[in-house]
Amino acid sequence: MRSRLHIAIMLALATMLLTALTARAVNNASDSLASPESFAAIDDPAARSAAMFIELGKVLTHPRCVNCHPAGDRPRQGEPGRLHQPPVERGPDGHGLAAMRCSNCHQEKNFDPARMPGHPHWQLAPHEMAWEGKSLAEICAQIKDRDRNGGRSLEDLVHHIGSDTLVGWAWAPGYGRHPAPGTQQEAGALVEAWVKTGAVCPN
Amino acid sequence: MTALRITVNSRAYGPLEVHDDLTLNDFLREYLGLTGTKFGCGAAQCLCCAVIVDDPDGTSHTSPSCAVSAASFNGKSIRTVEGHAKNGELSALQKAFIEHFAFQCGYCTPGFLNEALVLLERLARKPVARSELEKTIAEALDGHLCRCTGYVKYHEAVRDVILAEPGRYLLAKAAGELQ
Repeated sequence: MRSRLHIAIMLALATMLLTALTARAVNNASDSLASPESFAAIDDPAARSAAMFIELGKVLTHPRCVNCHPAGDRPRQGEPGRLHQPPVERGPDGHGLAAMRCSNCHQEKNFDPARMPGHPHWQLAPHEMAWEGKSLAEICAQIKDRDRNGGRSLEDLVHHIGSDTLVGWAWAPGYGRHPAPGTQQEAGALVEAWVKTGAVCPN
Repeated sequence: MTALRITVNSRAYGPLEVHDDLTLNDFLREYLGLTGTKFGCGAAQCLCCAVIVDDPDGTSHTSPSCAVSAASFNGKSIRTVEGHAKNGELSALQKAFIEHFAFQCGYCTPGFLNEALVLLERLARKPVARSELEKTIAEALDGHLCRCTGYVKYHEAVRDVILAEPGRYLLAKAAGELQ
């Protein structure tokens, strides 16, 4: 009887430990970005390039990015991407309507006491740069298309993702928001390596 | 800490040492005693706390005061509901709000007043056609929450103030199509 109890306790402890370790591994996997070097084992440059874009997709499809690349005229917010409250709209220049400009609330930097995110250029991505609801292959084709990426060359994309401070907000989103995976520097390295290997899109 | 200098209703204040996490709402109410600016949701959702910010280019806009830091207004000029009446006389907007029974509890009224005044100032700079007026008012007041009288009375009050001076707020072409 006693040994049975022992076994049950040991099994329970082992299960708890395994669950904790698995959760940690999953979290680590979703919170980090693989380096370009870690794709070296893929011999085919095209396949390597596409694989790196899939890794970069963890950033591009993250709520910190997609919420301001919405399909409609209203930004989204939070981890589940619910519609922005109060009900603001894109407006003619992506900075809101005349009486409800983004900068009315979103100031030059995060204001954590009110959980208000901020940046000097807070705005919505233009319509043609909407990512919401799209597959990674669709986003990839879009991000390479000058008509749908703000007129950027591939080199410009490296700078935009790797250095732009508004993009960088995704890694310093303030209290209560989960940052994008990895670091901006790591994302910049990935996009640069993706471009150098031919900027191949995944299927 | 920030040594805050700010102009409120044409009166200069500061330098006053304030914590960087002090909201503009707390600064107005607790430091200056200007309690006309209300605290509602605390998350820029209801806009009862909205104040007017005067921009250097002569334009104006509203800002919620509950979700922004007082320090971020260093060197800026703002207006609150206390600045509407002049020499004890209510403004045209305030009178219209009363005549239309636009408010009941009044908690949202300072935000609506400030937003409506910003709209009047915008229309004075850039008039719209009469046919665009209803949409323009609705868009301007959008986002301000009222849980007593609804929004129609506020809308009608603002419209009355604008139509009382069509030459100031509406395009000349629209003068013939008034009412």
